[in-house]
Amino acid sequence: MKTVRLISVMMVLLLLALPVFANGQTETTSAKVEEKVMTHDEMVEAAKAEGTLTVYTYSSRTTKIGDAFTAKYGIPVEVTQLKDTEMIEKVSKEAAANLDAADVVFCQDGSRVIPELVYTNYVTAYIPENISGHIVDAEFENPLVFEAMPKVFIYNNEDVTEQPLTNIWQLTEPEWKGALQFKDPFSEAVNMNFFAMITREDWAQKIADAYKSYYGKEIQLTTKNAGYEWIKAIYNNGCVLGKSDTTIGENVGAKGQHRNLVGLFTLNKMRNAKSKDLALSPAYGMEPFSGFMYPAYVFVAGNAKAPNAAKLFIEFAFTEEGWKPFNLLGDYSPVDYLSDNAEDDLTIVDWKNQLVWEDPAWCAESRADVEEFISSIV
Amino acid sequence: MIKKQLYRFYKFIKKPYNVILSVLLIVLGYLTLFPMLTMIKDTFTVHVSESMRLKQAAGTFTLNHWLKVLFDPSSLSVFYKPFLNSLVTSLGACLVALVFGGVFSWLITRTNIRWKKALSSLFIFPYIMPSWTLALAWFNVFKNSVVGGVPGTFQALTGIEPPNWFAYGAFPIALVTGLHYAPFAYIMIGGVLRNMDANLEEAAMMLKTKRNRIVRKITIPMILPAVLSTFLLVFSSAMSSFAVPQFLGLPVRYQVLTTQLYRTLNGINPGQGYCIAMIMILLSVGILAFNQRMVGTRKNYTTVTGKSSNISLVNLKKARNVISVIALILIVIVSILPLVSFALESVILRPGDYSPSNFTLQFWIGTAEENSIANNEAGLLRNPNLWKALWNSLKLSIICAITAGSLGFLAGYGIVRGRGTKLAKVVDNLAFFPYLMPSMAFSVIYLSMFSTRHGPIPALYGSFFLLVLIGTVKYMPFASRSGINSMLQLSNQIEEAGEIIGVSWPKRMGRLVIPIQKSSFISGYLLPFTSCMRELSLFVLLVTPQNRVLTTLLFQYNEKGWSQYSNGINLMIVIIVLVVNAVVNKVTGASIDKGIGG
Repeated sequence: MKTVRLISVMMVLLLLALPVFANGQTETTSAKVEEKVMTHDEMVEAAKAEGTLTVYTYSSRTTKIGDAFTAKYGIPVEVTQLKDTEMIEKVSKEAAANLDAADVVFCQDGSRVIPELVYTNYVTAYIPENISGHIVDAEFENPLVFEAMPKVFIYNNEDVTEQPLTNIWQLTEPEWKGALQFKDPFSEAVNMNFFAMITREDWAQKIADAYKSYYGKEIQLTTKNAGYEWIKAIYNNGCVLGKSDTTIGENVGAKGQHRNLVGLFTLNKMRNAKSKDLALSPAYGMEPFSGFMYPAYVFVAGNAKAPNAAKLFIEFAFTEEGWKPFNLLGDYSPVDYLSDNAEDDLTIVDWKNQLVWEDPAWCAESRADVEEFISSIV
Repeated sequence: MIKKQLYRFYKFIKKPYNVILSVLLIVLGYLTLFPMLTMIKDTFTVHVSESMRLKQAAGTFTLNHWLKVLFDPSSLSVFYKPFLNSLVTSLGACLVALVFGGVFSWLITRTNIRWKKALSSLFIFPYIMPSWTLALAWFNVFKNSVVGGVPGTFQALTGIEPPNWFAYGAFPIALVTGLHYAPFAYIMIGGVLRNMDANLEEAAMMLKTKRNRIVRKITIPMILPAVLSTFLLVFSSAMSSFAVPQFLGLPVRYQVLTTQLYRTLNGINPGQGYCIAMIMILLSVGILAFNQRMVGTRKNYTTVTGKSSNISLVNLKKARNVISVIALILIVIVSILPLVSFALESVILRPGDYSPSNFTLQFWIGTAEENSIANNEAGLLRNPNLWKALWNSLKLSIICAITAGSLGFLAGYGIVRGRGTKLAKVVDNLAFFPYLMPSMAFSVIYLSMFSTRHGPIPALYGSFFLLVLIGTVKYMPFASRSGINSMLQLSNQIEEAGEIIGVSWPKRMGRLVIPIQKSSFISGYLLPFTSCMRELSLFVLLVTPQNRVLTTLLFQYNEKGWSQYSNGINLMIVIIVLVVNAVVNKVTGASIDKGIGG
């Protein structure tokens, strides 16, 4: 008897459970961003009527854009900072349930953002008027890139007068054994995207060419292509996985170590190199790349409850006032009137030419293979 | 026939424990079984993130995840090796916890070692602190040139570079995890040593048996069940610990199951992650079942007999001072030093430089304008964000503790009173399940479960209530364990006596059961409170800006690399937890150790 009762209770529970499983397929009836063309003043008025604006972001500095925005328009802004995986999960679950959550989404990791947020219409790109015609490269336009951040091979320059690294294959040599550090690609999506990128045929070919120019002979493949080959070689040469780019910068740059050390980490860590007394230099012009550059995108959420304020905010983020918190070494704007970085002579295009640029479509397709490959290197 | 059925039902419902168990079955079934089923389903379906690569629509059936985890050339590094590493470190941790905790509990209960009270309360510290504090300390002291940077303290002082096996990987992971869980051993073994019937030993003594023979033939067999329980508890906790292996394993790429789980959940293959999680859950269920069987056969659980007289303490004689000092030093290193290092790190300007000129209080009391080094973020004590988060954390932890603690106690009552019935067994396991679920998977599932309305259950997402709900369910296992333990100790006859003279159930609980077991009842609240205060991954997906908690703030500062702020918040969390524990202990006599061991 008791068993029967138990089973029937279980059945009821299962029935209750069904709607949740069905959840994934529900259509989103997201309020489409209105098509009607408004004048700027009308947009400001509409935005003010919408109340608080909610912003999700990868960067803490977005809060400062928010403060400046509030000061200018009187619209309160609430900023939430999220890690990549959490961003994707939160935005897609909220959008699928059609909740009033985010209005503006600043995010990175194209390999997941594109298929999981853009193709699903959970977020939509919006190109404000003030930047149309000012974007310096078509690749920054679709989806709209808010900023690009280089991660560069940066070495300890305490004992050297001349840049010691000119070719990426040097990093697979005994002199650089255990010398290369970068953040575990499994906890830093953009690092994984970089590895995915260099397995694309064009990059693999460039890596094979670099091999030839360094060793004077053709590369012998044990894997699919030269990109995979190089990944395997650096892992087998004892690269060290770090927890954060900040600590990697400190570990590579600390003085008094007197050995070869290099990290692949974000260029903005050069900002505090002086005040932290670190001996660091970026390795420019390496063959075939000096590192990689990844985009951060900005979107209007598909079911934004403050769509006009969201547009106004994006527009504001591309003004000099809005960009100010990002006008620092290591952050590059894709629009020409903001590209003159305060602390660096190089523009986004200069960097793009010597770095591997993240192509979200390729990453989305190949990243799982690369993840599998890397976890199989013991 | 129907009448008979009705009568049965009436009889069933008349027993309060049946009502409690039935309600719990439904509620917990929904709140724990459901996430489980969702997870199982996810191991067999194509996830959105892999749909592009597999060229299959999301949600399509696939065996791919299981095949990849178990039967692929890459399974060796994806699953089998991390699995082996998990076994090695967990067994190592058990050994460390048992030796350290066991020896210590013997010293405290059976010898005339000095400073018993202080040593005993300090010994629990590592368990109250987040597990990675010790890992961080180990890393700072013993790191070698592999990671580069400023040399570790040990190398700086002695000039000797610690070898890799000592600094990272299996050895330190096992050691640090073992030290973290050593309080389990102390509480459980110490509890038995303190309470066991001394008559046996006295009898042996009167027969002039040699002391080491007494230990071998009487003491050890007596404490063996406690040792076994500790072993299983430490083993399963160590298996599921993430922070320590992540911290100490990464520099040499030493993977265990939990770090592998984190990598797959964070990467684009959550399906594989859920497979690993399922295997871990199965493993833990196996261990749990084994534990239940062992405890179940040990019929006589009553430890309070009132008969034992004070057993004579071993006189350490000349060694007394030496042993006392060594014990004190060891415990200070493990319990106090991490706190000192947090405090220190929060008041220095440039990390690694301890010269007096480098000290500053600006990260605590500086105004926003003064703190240009930290992007003009106001010092902690002046920071409105911090106060808000602190208030939220306290509110959340207290409410979770009250709900989890009360429900856990009721569950314990129901399970023990209904012992032997299937219903009790099912509820017992349901209540323990959340403990085995990885926090991250748990919160992802809750996010989708409660983001829309399901029948009578409204969309809870974004509400404070949802945080309370997930915290309650996740931490109820602690409370229900301690509830079960305390109810097992309490003889049935007491309540029956009340029942016979017709005392109502609420009165029986309020006047008899709870007052008698007051201290372990309150202890059931302390563990959920402590865990809640330091939890991050469970809440991070579910918080909205209005109900941000301390740990999410901590995470933000950590990400920015402002170690002074994160160390400061850490210190605050640990101190709050310690103070609350101490106050509760002073006022009610309850303590966290009573919560674990019973």
